[in-house]
Amino acid sequence: MVTSRSAAMDSPASAPVPGQAASAAAPGRPLRTAVQPASAAPAVAAAPAGATLIDIRNLDFFYGESQALKDISLAIEDHKVTAFIGPSGCGKSTLLRCLNRMNDLIEGTRVARGTIKIHGVDIYQDDVDVIELRKRVGMVFQKSNPFPKSIYENITYGLRLQGVKDKARLDEIVEKALRGAALWDEVKDRLDASGLGLSGGQQQRLCIARAIAVEPEVILMDEPCSALDPVATAKIEELIQELRTRYTIVIVTHNMQQAARCSDRTAFFYLGKLIEYADTRDIFTNPGNPQTEAYVSGRFG
Amino acid sequence: MNAPVPPAAASGPDRAAAFAIRKKRVKLLGLTVDDCIKSFFGGNALVSIVVLTLITYFLVREGAGFFGQNRQNLQVYRQAGLEYVDFIRVQADDHTALTRYLSDLRLRSLRHLTETKGRSLDDANAALAPFDEFAGKFGDAVEPVRGIVSELTEVATAIKTKFIVNEDKKEERRQLLAEGKKTEADAVAITPVDFAAELKPLLGALPAYKDANREFTAKLTAVLAAPPALPAPELEQRLQRFTALARDYLATFPAVERNLEAWDFRQPVPATQSFTAFIFGRQWLTASFWQDWYGIIPLFVGSLLVSLVALTLAVPLGVGAAIYINQIASLREQKLVKPAIEFIAAIPSVVLGFFGIAVLGQALRLLSQQSWLSWVPGFPYSERLNILTAGCLLALIAVPTIFTLAEDALNNVPRAFKEASFALGASRLQTTLKIIVPASLSGIISAVLLGLGRVIGETMVVLLCAGNRIAIPDFTQGLAFVTEPVHTMTGIIAQEMGEVVRGSIHYRALFMVGLVLFVVSLLINFAAQKIVRRYRISIG
Amino acid sequence: MNAADHVFRPRLNAARRAEGLVFWLFRSATYLILACGGAVFLNIVYKGAGTVFTTSAPFVNTTFLTEAPESLYVFEFEGKKYEMGDREFRAFKETHPAAAKVKTESYVYSAGGIWPCIVGTVLLVVGSMTIALFLGVCAAIYLTEYAKDGAFIRFVRLAILNLAGVPSIVFGLFGFGMFVIFFGWNVSLLAGWFTLAFMVLPVVITASEESLKSVPKGFREGSLALGATKWQTIRSNVLPYALPGILTSSILGIARVAGETAPIMFTAAYVVRDKLPWDVERAGDFFFQGVMALPYHIYVVSSKIPQNDYTERVQYGTAFVFLGIVALIATASILLRTRLRNRYKW
Repeated sequence: MVTSRSAAMDSPASAPVPGQAASAAAPGRPLRTAVQPASAAPAVAAAPAGATLIDIRNLDFFYGESQALKDISLAIEDHKVTAFIGPSGCGKSTLLRCLNRMNDLIEGTRVARGTIKIHGVDIYQDDVDVIELRKRVGMVFQKSNPFPKSIYENITYGLRLQGVKDKARLDEIVEKALRGAALWDEVKDRLDASGLGLSGGQQQRLCIARAIAVEPEVILMDEPCSALDPVATAKIEELIQELRTRYTIVIVTHNMQQAARCSDRTAFFYLGKLIEYADTRDIFTNPGNPQTEAYVSGRFG
Repeated sequence: MNAPVPPAAASGPDRAAAFAIRKKRVKLLGLTVDDCIKSFFGGNALVSIVVLTLITYFLVREGAGFFGQNRQNLQVYRQAGLEYVDFIRVQADDHTALTRYLSDLRLRSLRHLTETKGRSLDDANAALAPFDEFAGKFGDAVEPVRGIVSELTEVATAIKTKFIVNEDKKEERRQLLAEGKKTEADAVAITPVDFAAELKPLLGALPAYKDANREFTAKLTAVLAAPPALPAPELEQRLQRFTALARDYLATFPAVERNLEAWDFRQPVPATQSFTAFIFGRQWLTASFWQDWYGIIPLFVGSLLVSLVALTLAVPLGVGAAIYINQIASLREQKLVKPAIEFIAAIPSVVLGFFGIAVLGQALRLLSQQSWLSWVPGFPYSERLNILTAGCLLALIAVPTIFTLAEDALNNVPRAFKEASFALGASRLQTTLKIIVPASLSGIISAVLLGLGRVIGETMVVLLCAGNRIAIPDFTQGLAFVTEPVHTMTGIIAQEMGEVVRGSIHYRALFMVGLVLFVVSLLINFAAQKIVRRYRISIG
Repeated sequence: MNAADHVFRPRLNAARRAEGLVFWLFRSATYLILACGGAVFLNIVYKGAGTVFTTSAPFVNTTFLTEAPESLYVFEFEGKKYEMGDREFRAFKETHPAAAKVKTESYVYSAGGIWPCIVGTVLLVVGSMTIALFLGVCAAIYLTEYAKDGAFIRFVRLAILNLAGVPSIVFGLFGFGMFVIFFGWNVSLLAGWFTLAFMVLPVVITASEESLKSVPKGFREGSLALGATKWQTIRSNVLPYALPGILTSSILGIARVAGETAPIMFTAAYVVRDKLPWDVERAGDFFFQGVMALPYHIYVVSSKIPQNDYTERVQYGTAFVFLGIVALIATASILLRTRLRNRYKW
């Protein structure tokens, strides 16, 4: 069962989704309004920050015969950091990879039911160009994966693919992206050095710089700090705080403190189901679901 | 190109409009560029299937005509009376085989007398005089029959020649007609061969043969009734064996006569016979003045024997080395030996073949003539190039294949097996032989099979070193067959393909041999894959 | 109690001795193999080096390496024994008219050199490897990057496996039937190229696939997540890193192509050819001419001419040069592969 709630009273345009309305109206539970625009038409998206950007509804997802996601409905808000938490195998990474259709690369996966709309466009529609989608929904991976090229080439890779050849413009974007990823000061003197020569944290920030160089709207982060030491992790978390002003960020993490520290909204998954989705503060201080409570207090998972 | 828009700066509706992710790509025949690239690569992946299909197609295309032509070949063999003459010829040839047995017996007796009894050569020869008289009489008895054979051979050959000349003329006329030269074509006179009339002298010789045969029988019976005495019981035994063989031989005579009487040149050759004559034929005889035979058995047996000898040597060596390198050797040894064996794999087979001709053949023959090795079956021998020489070299070709694949199989055994065994106090040998080897057995078996495939398809070594005598080896002496020369399927193709007329029956027969080889290699491959697949499941 | 006599003291019992014996047997098997391979190698190097190298400067027998084969004439003239190649003998007869009547023994191919064979082999290898690499790498890209598991792919893999087991002489027959006869290319470089290319295709595909698979998945995902198309990803983020591996492992294929005799016997090789391949009237003829090739030449000189001191030189010399070339290729492959393994660790 999904418990959907929002702390701040949201835009008047929002109206409950049928499925969620039913659960939200269930007796014995505090009524919490879902944050959902009634229609996905672009005109409605003209809402201020905090309006829904990615709208996931009734999503069922399969790896071959086994169902990885069960009836997920979730609205990710614009210019906020949304964290997905849950024990391993709960489907949080799978959902993240659905958002830019990276799951297409794995054989035997399919979306059996439901929709994912970004700006009201269903990204699983046949006429969607996956390439265009991925340009607009960037991704940072669990294991940092800089290409075995120079730092400069790593950053410009995505732009060159789009046909940007102007050297001055590339230089400018490289600097901007590296500054954006808080890496500029560390690497500005060795842009021609291999990306593989950087430390683990630097590599991950390089990957973030690479992602923001193509100016996506959304950045998906799949456990970006799981392979990093605490110092490097702190830097990345700091970076996330800076990035939130300009991008919508979805981050998968197995580290609850991290979710608590750097996200605005948190979704808790368990066994392929969305258990609870609420403001981060609420999830950690006042969880609405006993399972959530058990998880965040460290009793399982 | 879309200029990257800083999202924070743009207002909502603009951003939504800018979020254009619908397809707007160039299409070609309904395919995007990426689809085209994908199909291009897919097409290349298809090549392997296409090549395999083409191999099958072209082998069948060139070889298919063989059965029709072979049937005609067999038909002529019957119609021209060659078959008829061969009934009698076989009888005479069997007699020759028996006389050879007698001369062998004489040699043994002589050796017994001179070496064991210490008599002088003249003395021994004198002692063998009764035997010589017996052998002489036995040998001469065949003369009347042989005379008839040679007479009839001439008749049959003449008929066949007439037929072939006719066929050539027909072909000439067909070509002239194809070129549109009708008058010239009409000028080519063709008189069809009247087999019935031509065969009269042949069939008329039956009474004469019967007379000759009666005389032959009488003489043989008389000779066999009084066998001479021989100096040792072992030799006596051999003589008794000879008389038994000779009596069996005599008993076949009535059958020969019956065959001759029942023979009818009009009887058609069934289509299946051209197939069975190829698959089960024990003779591969080409460009002969008498009759060409295309039987694959001697070649197949040759290939098989050479491969078996090679595997007998290569399997213990290859598997043993794999076990040693994988389980026992130090890391440094591994790093030295593995590339060295890969290096052996790179030695071109033609170089190995040359080595066989230049060095190994001679060396093995010399070795066989050492007296302390005379207990080895078949030693000493005189043919430098034989099954053994080719087998030794092929073993060197098979070893790297077997070694590499077996080593892989051993490597695939999970470490846990080994550790568990050690933890129970097993020694290294026990662990290796009772845990590692059984766990990788199917991998090793498939390695051996692939080694067999490699060896049976090898051409240059057998072409250069197997001796190239088209005959089924004599298995009566046990393992001694390894010292006989043979010819092989691969060798015959390589040797004769360059010399045959395109489209002739011989040419097509070679393609059929190629087809058999192809099928055999596919079967071996199939078996190896099957075994490997089962192995994968067992490890889980 | 004696300090050495504790319960874990190694005891030499029958089992231990058997273990030692069996291990020793396995070890001898290993070294017997190496000894046999070494014997072949050393024999040919020892005897062949005499032909290829000389004791005086330039220490290499240039005649042998740079000229075409000729017949060797051996004769006695005015009490002296001469050995001469064909051309030399003709010139000699002009200067010494009396020599025209002298009784000679002649041995074909035993004088002169093997230059046309070296040229032919190089041409065959270069051409067929170009074709095989193109087809093989493309096929491997499909198999590793595009293909989804299915009946088609299983069929392709089965075909590759089986193709690898087809005897080389069958490839020769196939090439003869298809290229030489059906396409009417006659005995030609082109026919040889395609025959050899198809023969070595499984090796190249397997090698390429392995190299492609060793490129980490992260490179592909990272690139795709930046909005690269599949082909852009492969071209700029997979192929460049797989290429060294592909080329190195394919060198082993080169050794195989260079070493095979049976497939070119009826498709590309001539016993003897006076002209060098570039002596053609029209450029197009280049592809439709047969060539001499080292492996076939070894076959010819070792099976068609008698063995004696005069012929041995060319026999061993050719085998040495050929073995040297193949060994060089194989060594290069083995060395490069080890270096590559050490260098690329992502």
